[in-house]
Parts: sequence; C-alpha cells; structure tokens
Amino acid sequence: MSDPTPTRDEDDLLAAELAFGLLDANERQAVEARLANDRTLADAYRRWQDRAATLALGAEENPRPSIWSAIEARLPANDMSRVVASAASVRWWQASTAVAAAAAIVLAIVSVRGPLPPPPAPVIAHAQAAAPLVAVLTGTPGKGIVTVSYDRTSGRLLSAPTGIDIAGHSAELWVIPAGQSPRSLGVIAAGSLGWMPARAGAAPAITPGATLAISVEPLGGSPTGKPTGPVILSGKVAAV
Amino acid sequence: MTTSAADILSDALNRVASGDRAAFEDVYRRTSAKLFGVCLRILPVRQEAEEALQEAYLSIWRRAGSFDATRGSAMTWLITLTRNRALDRLRAGGKIATTTMDLAEIVADQRPLAFAVLEAGQEEAKLAQCIGTLDQRDATLIRTAFFEGSTYAELAARAATPLGTIKSRIRRALTKLRDCLG
Repeated sequence: MSDPTPTRDEDDLLAAELAFGLLDANERQAVEARLANDRTLADAYRRWQDRAATLALGAEENPRPSIWSAIEARLPANDMSRVVASAASVRWWQASTAVAAAAAIVLAIVSVRGPLPPPPAPVIAHAQAAAPLVAVLTGTPGKGIVTVSYDRTSGRLLSAPTGIDIAGHSAELWVIPAGQSPRSLGVIAAGSLGWMPARAGAAPAITPGATLAISVEPLGGSPTGKPTGPVILSGKVAAV
Repeated sequence: MTTSAADILSDALNRVASGDRAAFEDVYRRTSAKLFGVCLRILPVRQEAEEALQEAYLSIWRRAGSFDATRGSAMTWLITLTRNRALDRLRAGGKIATTTMDLAEIVADQRPLAFAVLEAGQEEAKLAQCIGTLDQRDATLIRTAFFEGSTYAELAARAATPLGTIKSRIRRALTKLRDCLG
C-alpha cells in the first residue's frame, strides 16, 4: 500500500489522524466533508478505522448478566402498550388478561393487607366520576413488577410492587407524557404497598396512553428533579 | 472473524435498525465480551466500564440505522461507537488532561499487549507486531492519544511541547505503522 504520490500519502495520514481522533474540530470537519466525494480518501479512512478498532480491543471479558438486564430495561417502549391499549376501550370485566390481572393483584393485596394508612377516599358516591386508571410497569422478566392505579376522583395513587430489589436506593415514579420530559410523582415504597397523593404538577399528565416509569435514584429521590439512574420498569396508563 | 460471522452481524444490525429486539439480543450475545474489553481499557474502574457498556448498547439500539455495510465492517462500527461512549464518560468524569506528560520520561507501556490474549485474528496479530516495531515512546504516545481521546493540541498542551513537534512525531509513527502493515 506504499503510495508513490505525496498527495495520496498526505491524505492517507489525514485519514489515519481522523480515525485516531487526533484532529481538532475544524480540521476534522474539513476531512469529513471530503469523504463523501473522495473515494480514495474514504477507502483509506475505512482501513484506518479498522486498525483503530483493532487497537481499541482489550482482553475480552463477559459482562455480568445484570448488565444485559439493565440495558433491556432502559430501552424505549419497554412496556405493555399494545396489550394495554387494546384493553383500554373495553369495559373492565372484559379487559384482557394484563389489565384484569393487574386489578386483581391490587385487590388481592388490598384485601390481604387489611387497612392501609391513609385509606383511599370513597369513590362510590361519584357515579359519574372519571374511570380509574391503571398501569402495569414491567422491565426484565423476573426483576419485578409494579402495578399502579390512580383514582382521578380522589387524586390518590396506589403502588403495588412485587420483587423489586434496589437495596440502598429509592424507586421514583415518573409520568412521561408523549413527547415531553418525565415529571416526578414521588418516591414509592419498593417493598410494600403504598398510597400517595399525586403531585399537583404531575397529576394532570396521568392520562390514558401516558407512560409511567420507575427509575433507581439515590435515597430520597432524584436530586435534580429528572431521572438520574436507570429506568428499570415502565408501562402505559390505561382506563379500566 | 470469518466472512460469514461478519455477515451475520451485519444482518443482525440491519434488523436492529427496524426495532427487532431479538436481533439486538443476538448482537449483544455476539459482541458484549469484546466491547466490554474496549470499555475496560479506557475505563479501568469496572463500574464505569459497565455504565459505558450500557450506554454503548443503547446508542447501538438507537443508531443501528446509520450503520452502512458498504462503508465498513459491523465490528469496526460497534467498536468505534463503544470507544466514543467510553471516552464521553472519561471526559464527563474530568479524568482527562489532569496529568501532565513529560515526553522525555514517557516509558514504554509495560502492559502486555491485549492482542496476545485474544484468540488472535490475523489483523490483531499483525498490528501488535507492527506496533512492536515502533519506538516505544512513540507507541505509548499513540496509545495515550487513542485511549484518552486526545487531539494533537491536547497532547501538545499536556506535554508542554510545541504542536508541530507532537504532530511530526505521531505522523512519523503512523507512517511507520502503515508501511509495516503494508
């Protein structure tokens, strides 16, 4: 590959410098701009990229299995949106297994756990009230589920976690309206059933189709008001 | 890597571009040990390397559509992207350019070449051999630049050496490397 012409030689070095990241921003942009039209330069760049990639290799090592779980949980749309969306339009007793099971889990836990502090406001009087909302938050199979229900009449959220293990951290619940940034609904109890009032700033965002997600945060919740740790569970809100 | 393994990886990446989760898992299974090795070289603190690896795969998921098999191999694309994510993390942690270098005192990198422990493909073995022919201080300079993502200007500032000196030194080494690789 020794090249007779000085210009080509110079270009080959430029390609090497680009592949190794040695150029400053201006030089880099100038070389990149030429790549589209200069076949020889593009070929040289490709060769040097391969060399650079080879140099970057270290000793191979399998990452811990939990790394894949964490990656999977952070993928967008890691939810049951299709299942829940199809259920959203039917009456609750006809709902598909996901929503029915979610409701059943909540009811079962409520009945087993007995009285809860503070009790939910009674909703029986509100015959015309908006239907309750529910979301099943899932991530990696076997890594836990949180079922969240939201009573729009009382403004209360119920969270029912199972199998969540985040010792030393807090689980923070977020609502993510389509196309917008997450709004905190507060830290939930990761090991037990919990009630909390939905925060005034975030409550209106809890609507059918919105995404709920749980991130792992420092104890007490995100210090920044935005998720700072990995999102481990997510799911879509549906009306029941 | 055999041609067929490269083709399989390339196909899998194209399927990832269309949102295929199973293909993504397949890519992870085939490449995570290699890419974790890349992260560990740049970020020796294991937890940092693990974070970088996660970020790399999330980037792979999002950007698989920009992979173009006509412009390079899938493995090179994956390694380049992973190195960039690891360097982002290194920079974000403020761990770059905090130490000064003294060109006169740069000693040879004593770490055994990683290639020696790979079930070495031909390119790895050849590259290792060619790097071995460089002046040891030049080889170390190239490695420092590469694993810390430093530009000529940053290297010159750190070494308190004129830009031109650094540049001609690295260029000389790159030329020698290229001639050796043929």
